[in-house]
Amino acid sequence: MVEEILLADDFVRQLISVGEVDVLVGIPSFNNAATIGQTVQAVEQSFQQGFARERVVLVTADGGSGDGTREVVMNARAEKNSSGGRGLTSLRTEQRVVTQYGNSPSAGLALRTILAAADLLRAKACAVISPATPNVTTAWITNLLAPIYRDKFDFVAPLYNRHKYDGLLSRNLLYPMSRSVFGQGIRELHPSELGFSGRLASYCLGQNVWNQEDIQDAPEIWMALTAISSDFKCCQAFLGTKERPAAGTAPDIVTAVRQNVGSLFWCLDAQENFWMQRATPEAVPSFGSESDLTSEPMNLNRQRIYELFRSGVQDLAPILETILTESTMAEIQSVAGQNEEKSLFSGELWARTLFDFAASHHHAVLNRDHLIQALVPLYRGRIHSFLVEHQDSTAEEMEADTERLCVEFEKQKPYLVERWKAKA
Amino acid sequence: MKEMILQGLSQAYDNLVHMIAIFVPRFAVMLIIVVVGWIVALALRYIFRAILHVTRLDRISEEAGASQVLRKAALPPMSELLSRALFWVVWLGFMVLGVSMLGIPELHEQIARVFQLLPQIFIAILILFFGVLASNFLSRAALLASVNAGHKSPRVWSGSIRFVILILAISMALEQIGLANQTVTSAFSIVFGAAMLALAIAFGLGGRHLARHALEQYFGSRKTEQEKDEEPSPL
Repeated sequence: MVEEILLADDFVRQLISVGEVDVLVGIPSFNNAATIGQTVQAVEQSFQQGFARERVVLVTADGGSGDGTREVVMNARAEKNSSGGRGLTSLRTEQRVVTQYGNSPSAGLALRTILAAADLLRAKACAVISPATPNVTTAWITNLLAPIYRDKFDFVAPLYNRHKYDGLLSRNLLYPMSRSVFGQGIRELHPSELGFSGRLASYCLGQNVWNQEDIQDAPEIWMALTAISSDFKCCQAFLGTKERPAAGTAPDIVTAVRQNVGSLFWCLDAQENFWMQRATPEAVPSFGSESDLTSEPMNLNRQRIYELFRSGVQDLAPILETILTESTMAEIQSVAGQNEEKSLFSGELWARTLFDFAASHHHAVLNRDHLIQALVPLYRGRIHSFLVEHQDSTAEEMEADTERLCVEFEKQKPYLVERWKAKA
Repeated sequence: MKEMILQGLSQAYDNLVHMIAIFVPRFAVMLIIVVVGWIVALALRYIFRAILHVTRLDRISEEAGASQVLRKAALPPMSELLSRALFWVVWLGFMVLGVSMLGIPELHEQIARVFQLLPQIFIAILILFFGVLASNFLSRAALLASVNAGHKSPRVWSGSIRFVILILAISMALEQIGLANQTVTSAFSIVFGAAMLALAIAFGLGGRHLARHALEQYFGSRKTEQEKDEEPSPL
């Protein structure tokens, strides 16, 4: 499989000199000189503390950084035993491999490079860690690798402690929709950290999807759904508190919806045979403590979110009419016509809306990128309702609400199947 | 006198018979050409339509929004429309050829002109078709981008883009046919210039506060952390 990928000669030479490994950690980087040193230290400490007898390697796939990221990786020193650990040091040489896969960042190419390294080195357990996450600890890496290395799982998605208003695209769209359609619920479908087995890496590498534009920005979604649909063992592991990304570094709503929903809808198309036959949902095992929610005050402009929803429904009406059924469109218009306080986008309507969008995406009733962009105002409507409903909710109440939403999606799955099979 | 009249009548009758004798075969040839043309055009129409189905033109046209325009105008789908257009172009060509076989000298020059114009008309139709596609696609992209960015009057932006592209396509199509070249070019310049001037005046005078706000937003000089937190993080 590796021979089909154009790996740089120098990268292949470095990998050959490493030989076979047991554990591989990949870091996809681009201009992360400020934070990547800390990530490398955390990875190496986790190697020393959790995998002292294993053959380990750290692979950095860089997208052409101009700030010396690659040099920082090579020069970062691990603080041995600094975390008051068990006094272990690695019994083997800790290898670092750095490669530049291109001159511009690409999540797809970075992941593919890491998978190729895992396949070539016959790694048993692998993890991908984002250098942009400011508070990665050794425990995070160990928690991602241990279920694979010791419990023979194939895919590990993270669970975090988060602010109750963070990750709303996952909570309201990616999680309920993927759980209802694919039958297994992964909370963080597009994680910045994840773990996977060498077996899954080789399988994914062999799939003929790497030139698909739709999954280039969020290949993790495709990988997670491929693991589910190809009967690989999936689980979730609690990592810790996910700090909010620095201002200006997180993708805006439009970009996030385009990348994530685009990938999810593409996977629905590609794995149609699997989910059409999937009847009963299964629980995904979780390791570690339960994830929790925090609720520090946040500066949100709910009125503006509602305004963007209302004007979006009005201005995009001719486009939405081609995507949604008449009854769904009428209900949305009625919700958008309410006062800000009373306007509530119910879970039932939200599920039907998303299934209409998924079916219309499948039938290509519109340019697919335009179709996904037309979802943004409706997503804002749903988020507005979420903020209204949960301004005083506790973590338990929000979890219960998410569960109700998932059940609603599962109840509506036959509607998706019906619209999917119907001619456009 | 009587003889002269009879001779005249006889000559007229001979001429008529002669003309009919010449005209009938030519007319028969014309009819044959028209019928053969109809068969050829029909065959080409089915072949062309099959090719268009293979290339999934209808889906592309649906995605680009051209099918919506056609539906609104009560026209058939794109592949059907193009194959019908080809049918008529080919059959008209045969009809014109058939009429030229009648040997009416006055018609020859006009027919030659029509023949010269046919490819240009076809190219003009293609220009219009792609113009409609481009105007739909780009105006929809502009509408979605401005709605999602929360800009004021997104329909005005989208409509302006559609208008400018359609005007450009129509003027190019008319120029292709060679119809009043100078008039069309001048009309386009006047309409386009006037639209731009109107926009500049409206934006500069009427909307100077909006312009200031837009420029400030663009250059980010007043973008505070507060503004960035207005929406919750999606991921």
